Order: sequence, then structure tokens, then C-alpha cells
Amino acid sequence: MHELSLALEVLGLVTSEAAKNRVKVIHEIQIEIGKISGVESDVFQAALEISARNSILDNARIIIINSPGKGRCMSCSEEFDMEDLLALCPNCQHQPSEITGGRELKVLSMMAE
Amino acid sequence: MCETCGCGQPDNFTIRMPGEELTDDHNRDHDHEHHHEHEHDDDHKHGDRHKHHHEHEEDHPHGHSYEQSSPTPRMIDISKDILSENNLTAERNRGFFEGRSIICLNLVSAPGSGKTTILEKTINERAKEREIFVIEGDQQSMNDAERIKKTGVPVVQINTGAGCHLDARMVNSAIKRLELSRNSVLFIENVGNLVCPALFDLGETKRVVVMSVTEGEDKPEKYPYMFASSHLCIINKTDLLPYVDFNVEKAMEYARRTNPDLEIILMSAKTGEGMQLWYEWIDKNQ
Repeated sequence: MHELSLALEVLGLVTSEAAKNRVKVIHEIQIEIGKISGVESDVFQAALEISARNSILDNARIIIINSPGKGRCMSCSEEFDMEDLLALCPNCQHQPSEITGGRELKVLSMMAE
Repeated sequence: MCETCGCGQPDNFTIRMPGEELTDDHNRDHDHEHHHEHEHDDDHKHGDRHKHHHEHEEDHPHGHSYEQSSPTPRMIDISKDILSENNLTAERNRGFFEGRSIICLNLVSAPGSGKTTILEKTINERAKEREIFVIEGDQQSMNDAERIKKTGVPVVQINTGAGCHLDARMVNSAIKRLELSRNSVLFIENVGNLVCPALFDLGETKRVVVMSVTEGEDKPEKYPYMFASSHLCIINKTDLLPYVDFNVEKAMEYARRTNPDLEIILMSAKTGEGMQLWYEWIDKNQ
């Protein structure tokens, strides 16, 4: 359940950003979770909703953007979408690949007043 | 979450030395920094940042009111890594280790792979040549710290409570309890779990994943994040190979598929096989 720890990190981060920007109400928050980041989006969302209760994020809409996994084959340099960390190169079936995207865990922005 | 200020920092872990009683004021860790930026009406002016040390007993919701707040919703760009706070603390830990030429090894594995036995053996055979310190991480109990204490080296136990992994903040607090010497080795035995600890940088010099031949040889394929983020893989309990259905070649192939740079040592902490290679590996990473 590292998703809960991450949700609490988000809450801490957003609380300090809200103070910095002098906002009291957060309507919406956008978070990027890469598809091969090792974090389950649904579990993370549920954890954040629970953690948000009675906090500045209470009632905020949580929008999660799943960035696709991207890899470059270490053998033939083919660039392709990775469904998981161990995806085979579709061109030459080589494994592993250099991961070029999809490991993001980021708070992108918030709509607040 | 931090109950005091709602800052989202978990503070429900405890740190203690073997034999030490758990008392609230000593061991409940709540010394993280809170950065507040207030607007004050009075002439009392703060610098932007200051530390607060909160007491737990107090129940004080922070209702900050600001004189000026924007009347309409606006989009505020944040663009920060969720783990930025952890990673920042990890880098502080790393700098501390580097400045003192300490090699810090984060040992991760599933429960029961033999991490504590490897540590006991290593300490018994090496502690005379080089000072060793240990941080034990478990959800509960002092058992592992008590085992290490018997070897005579300084040890501190982190109990994560409900938590399933150690994080950089816990390690930062724990190293304040150990008086680490220059050129020493610090072993961190992480919570037995092949999933969650993978994401949390502790500031270690190297990460060592331990698997044993009593587990499936496809562990690396099932838990690729842990193997992908490790530098060394120890395959332990090789003395049991004649009795179990475990293909070493296959296990090594699976492990290298997740991480082509992964070094592998076959070991039996019981018979001593591979221990010399392990010591050489530690020395070369100094």
C-alpha cells in the first residue's frame, strides 16, 4: 500500500503550495501517474480521496492523467509503447528496454481560489 | 498523516535502541520541518521559513486566514514530483554518508529470505576490520534489533506501524540515534516486502535485493520494480539447492532481464558460500 504513503505526500505538497499561493479552496487537482511507475492509479485515487477528508483537498476533483509507458529497445533502438516494465520489443523481441516515459509521479496543477 | 498540522507527513513510526522503553516524548518522531508563510498584521515580522516543533497532545487546527485571497478560481502550476520531499531528504542522507565515506546498503527482500542471518554472519566476520552499524526496519517488534545487538554492533530499530516500507525521513531520524563513524558500513534492513520499498530512495549508496532458493525463480519477473532498482542481487540459501526445485540459471536470467546491470552473488549465509564475494563487493563500492 505505498499508494497511501504517496497520497499523504500529495496532501503535504498541496497544503504547502496552497499556503504559498494564498488560496483557501481547491476545486480541482491534476496528477500525473505514469503507466509503468509502479503505482496503481485506482488504488492511489481511492487513497487520496480518503486522505483528503477534512483537509484542504476535501471536495476537490481529483484528475489523474496516466502517461503511457515508453521504451527504446537496447538492441535495435526501436521506440515503442510499453504495457509493463518487461515488455518485449515488438520489432526484435529483445528485452529489456530503456524506459523513456511512463514512470512519472507528479502533481501537475490545481484550480484554486 | 501528521495529526497535528495535517501536513500529510506520516509520523507514526517509532525509533528505539534495544532495551529502550517506548516513551512518547522520546520516540514518537515528530521533528519534521513545517514551512509556513503567514501574513501578519502586527509588526512582528517573520523570516519566510521557521521550524515548529509541535507537541502531539495539542489539538490545534491551523486555520490560516489571509487578508488577500483571489476571488476567482485560477489555475496554479505546481509541476512537482510526488516524492520530491522524500527524494530531497534521501539526498541529504546520501550527502551525509558521502562526507564521512560511509557505505550505506539498503537490503530489500520478501520476508524470510535470510537478510538478518546474512547481517549476523557479515558482522561476525567483518566487524573487527571495519565498523558496522545497523538500522532494522519492521512493522512491529524489536526481534531483529535484539538479534543484531547480540553481535555487539550499534543497532536501532524503526517500527513502521502500519507502514509497509522505510522512507528517507525515517532513516534521517534513525541516523541521528547512531553515532556513525567515518569509513564505516551502515546496513539498513528494510521491511520485508518486494513491492513498496522499491519506490522509496533512502539515500543509500547501493540497493541490495535478496532472494532465496526456497522462493520461486521467477521472483524478478513478478516484482520487476525491485530488481530493476537494485545494484546487487543475492541468491541466498544455496545449501538448500539439492532439496528444492529452483533453477539458478533461470533465476539469473529473469533477474538480468529486469536489469542488465544487476550483479549477482550466489550465497549461503549458513555454509559461508559466497560470503567472500559479498565482502569484496562491499569493499569495492567504498
